[in-house]
Amino acid sequence: MLDRRQNLPQLYRFCFLMLGDSRKAQEVFNTTLREAAVRAAQGELPKEPFWLFREARWRCLEASKTDLQPEALEIEEHDITPQAASQIKQLEAAQLAIWISAAPDPQRTALALFYLNEFDYLEILDIAELKLSTLSRCLSQGRRQLQAWLDAKHSGAPKV
Amino acid sequence: MKTLRLLRRRRALLNCAPISHGNLTDRSMRAAVSRADGSDEFVNQQNFDRALAELVRHVPIPPESAEWFSEKDAVPVPKWTLRKIVFNPAVLAISIALLVIAGVFAFQLVGRLNDFPGSATARKLLTVAGSTRSVMLDPVNAEAGTLSDLFFMKHGLEHYDVPDEFADFQTIGCRVFDDDESQRVAQIWVAEKRMQFFLFPAERDSKTGAVLAFPGWRYVHQEGWVGAVTEHNGVCFMAVVRGREKDLAPYLSEAKE
Repeated sequence: MLDRRQNLPQLYRFCFLMLGDSRKAQEVFNTTLREAAVRAAQGELPKEPFWLFREARWRCLEASKTDLQPEALEIEEHDITPQAASQIKQLEAAQLAIWISAAPDPQRTALALFYLNEFDYLEILDIAELKLSTLSRCLSQGRRQLQAWLDAKHSGAPKV
Repeated sequence: MKTLRLLRRRRALLNCAPISHGNLTDRSMRAAVSRADGSDEFVNQQNFDRALAELVRHVPIPPESAEWFSEKDAVPVPKWTLRKIVFNPAVLAISIALLVIAGVFAFQLVGRLNDFPGSATARKLLTVAGSTRSVMLDPVNAEAGTLSDLFFMKHGLEHYDVPDEFADFQTIGCRVFDDDESQRVAQIWVAEKRMQFFLFPAERDSKTGAVLAFPGWRYVHQEGWVGAVTEHNGVCFMAVVRGREKDLAPYLSEAKE
């Protein structure tokens, strides 16, 4: 069995959250695994944990470089409400992935890794090469911005 | 200042708090969560995170990508087979070293199993027996048992008695000398099988000075010589013959009968 560090379904989901597009996610996912297979055949698999996720992350960032970039706007932030959970239930995974993939890095990586619910914060710091304060800020802001977006969706008012 | 820094770190940790409480492996994170547990803000955050994680968990995997999952060998995890472990140079070297240590230990243990107080001296005297020539001894023609008086009268050696088992043997010669620890040793040569007897002080406890007694007869071996040793009244008697235990055994069993 593959160990938790190389959980392949989670690797695909990570790519999906990073890119917000199933086709692109598949491309990065397949390329990453093909490359891994070649390296395995040559006996050159890296020894460090989570290397597949690290590889996939760089490929996702590389792949999205050529995409249209979102405008740098001041995004509204709201406090998390007790109704948030029910608001999220009305969301589709693809909508969430689009929202996360539109976030600037490292917030995008932080949110994607965190909501996989696969790694603890120390592992996320390791994979994303972040400091605790940065990760904390990314997640905290991400939640508040997502809440604002959910509120806007829920109320039906167009918000930027 | 320090408190402020601590509070800031706790806040940072809470923002990264795991979605499932089962993942609270880090001590500082556990502490931060236990302090915040129950607060409205933290409960809202946890519910929010759980709902999002649930949504992510249901991200469907396209069949083309799912094909990779069955091909476990695509990204093989290096497996440690028994053969690989055994032939690993480090394991091999350690195993050989352990075997050598175990062998030496077993050899020492077997050697020590037959040890008794005074066995070291007895072994040294076996070497002496091997190098002694009859001309080195004062000629004495008497029964071995009678030499106790001679040792006492002439050399002041008390309790240097030949046991009953060997008391009737005719002697050829005897001498008294100091060994390398300045202990007085009596040596007797008898006609029977060119056997030699040694009488030497029994080993004593270094703290109390008490004699370290042992019951019955004990054998020692050295370079083709065998000795049967017994202790009585603080003096050890050793009968020595060139050969094996079975050469001495009849004399000892006779005595037992």
